[in-house]
Amino acid sequence: MDDYAIGVLTNIALFSFIALSAYLLLIAGEMSFGQQAFFGVGAYAGGILTTLYAWPLPLAALAAMALGAVAQFLVALPTLRLRGLHFAMATLAAAEMARILFELMHWRREIDGELAGPDGTQGFRGIRWIFEHGIEPLHYLGIVGVLLALVLALFLMIERSKLGATLRGVGLDPELAASVGIDVQRIKLGVAAAAGALAALGGVLYAHHNTYIEPRNFDIMLGVHSLAYALIGGLGTAFGPLLGVLLDIGTLESTRVFHGYRMIVFGGLVALVLVYRPRGLLDERTVQWLRQRFS
Amino acid sequence: MIADLVQNTLDGLSAGATYALLALGFTLIFGVLRRANLSFGPAIMFGCYAATWTHVNFGAGLLLLALITVSGAVLAGAYVERLCFAPHRGGSAIAAMVASFALWMQFEELATLIMPRHLYAFPLLYEGDPLALGPFTLRIDALAMLGAALAACLALWWTLYRTRFGLAVRALIEQPAAAALAGINVPWVFVRVFALASAIGGVAGYLVVASHGQITPMLGMWATLKGLLAMMLGGLGSLPGAVIGGLALGLIEAHTQWYLGPQMRDLIAYLLLFVLLAARVPWMTTRSAS
Amino acid sequence: MAKAALLLIVLALPLLAQAQTPEAQLRCESTGQDFVYDCTLMLTRFGRPLEGAQVTVGADMPSMPMAHSVRPARARPGLKPGEYKARLDLEMLGEWAIKLRLDGPVRDLLVLHYEFDSKGAMPRKR
Repeated sequence: MDDYAIGVLTNIALFSFIALSAYLLLIAGEMSFGQQAFFGVGAYAGGILTTLYAWPLPLAALAAMALGAVAQFLVALPTLRLRGLHFAMATLAAAEMARILFELMHWRREIDGELAGPDGTQGFRGIRWIFEHGIEPLHYLGIVGVLLALVLALFLMIERSKLGATLRGVGLDPELAASVGIDVQRIKLGVAAAAGALAALGGVLYAHHNTYIEPRNFDIMLGVHSLAYALIGGLGTAFGPLLGVLLDIGTLESTRVFHGYRMIVFGGLVALVLVYRPRGLLDERTVQWLRQRFS
Repeated sequence: MIADLVQNTLDGLSAGATYALLALGFTLIFGVLRRANLSFGPAIMFGCYAATWTHVNFGAGLLLLALITVSGAVLAGAYVERLCFAPHRGGSAIAAMVASFALWMQFEELATLIMPRHLYAFPLLYEGDPLALGPFTLRIDALAMLGAALAACLALWWTLYRTRFGLAVRALIEQPAAAALAGINVPWVFVRVFALASAIGGVAGYLVVASHGQITPMLGMWATLKGLLAMMLGGLGSLPGAVIGGLALGLIEAHTQWYLGPQMRDLIAYLLLFVLLAARVPWMTTRSAS
Repeated sequence: MAKAALLLIVLALPLLAQAQTPEAQLRCESTGQDFVYDCTLMLTRFGRPLEGAQVTVGADMPSMPMAHSVRPARARPGLKPGEYKARLDLEMLGEWAIKLRLDGPVRDLLVLHYEFDSKGAMPRKR
């Protein structure tokens, strides 16, 4: 497999993490414009830990996930009772604040005679843990792929369980859910923490893949894109967001005809698909149909 | 000290006038359709780029450019309305909003394809020295912005309170179910509201681009963010609130930027929004999205 | 005593190897075709030209980092030591984060910011 294909597949996997985090919130009935902030938290936290404090990547990733979970939990706590556009705007505000904080963050240490670490708008370069440990791009893709597979497996398990039904119940009709005794608040907080951890995982993996991150990487474009991928792929299954990512990056890569027109094509595709399938291609009905067909 | 305060207030009000117009456009659409149009800024940008293209290729006067901007914005807005909002009228708000984001992507790419340079010059509204009022300076184009914003608000007020169309719009905002039952042709009202909102947005866009003398592809995102921010600050779904929110945003920005710099300016604005939303201040939650 | 010293040296070698990351300078000229540039890269390490590296040149935009279809180009060695040449086919003008993937004697990934206009590329202070 050539380097280019490896790079594309890695990007697809990395994007899938943040798309899945947006998907999780959508299932629970919330539209978030802000998942890019937690992707960024994971990226910066993971990068700082491995580059400035020589933490091993697995440990740094776990810490990044914990931080992402806490961060999203803290954003969700005051906004629990917000719905719809209010909630979306609150997440947007929080995410833009995070991005500005990244612009203001200077955390420099001298490593091997050179200054390293985040330098505000100049970004954070030299996240070299992968190179310093001799991990080839193909191996890294394998690692990212395995992690994604684990996450997907987790999602599939939850979807078939009572928790999954509860989540969807809360998403479709929170009042009804509350009336049958479900603690909607706790569910929403739990979902928020999980989504934050998921986005942060994608972020720390992205930071080490790219070796360089800057605040602009984590702007609203990333967040709304991940939302779009989750929705167009379909809200019926965790494979939906993956499909969404594939559709965009797929039209990007597979047909050079679209060189320079990708966003026009993909944007139009999303709007059109949503007209006929407001809950995406792999929506609940389609997934149900597929299950019956192949059970 | 006081001089700075007054100067910043003047500057803040003129910036706020633009934000007020943007917020009005968003609020019209939100108040009537209960959805936020994420392509509002990009549609305005489309109009501005159409004017830029005309100017670059043919050269044109200020008035013609203004007309092209507004027409372009209305055209783009109609495209968005047909593809993103009409199909989802009774259905999913999330689908409509995400679809509008998808079209935002289209507009951005279209702009960079047709006008690939990052920055284009745009004829200035007024080339000359600012007006000096004692220790304060008032830019002529800032005055023009305030004037145009006022005129647009008056025109909007007249439309809403002195025409049948306006009556229908107000009915839909206040009592959507009753309005539909009363036989108002709801889809047709939506189309016209969209056109009105896009036109107002086009005016705002033109003023911004003409007073800065340049246009970049960032205009779409900028207009959307500022419009949304101003709309939410002033209370979602309220037209007077939109104006107040826009002016307030302008004032807050001008003052915080003076004392704390541009990054803190944006940080404070977003923080304020977040706090207001979290506190569920009553005027902010008057109308919720479906 | 000698063993300890040897151990220390062996342990220190990886540190020495990573201590100095290569430096790169890029010069690009438009080929006349839309958004296609001929780029010349100068690589140095420890102040001396870095030869024999396999360089792949890719590009990404700071906003929406993973989503642009710039096919990475294999650079071929240029005339001078430490010089490499590659042809970049970008999607649009503006600021790009050029990614240099190095293989061979040195494995690394460098990211440089350049502003591309209709004539060529100017480094962006980042």
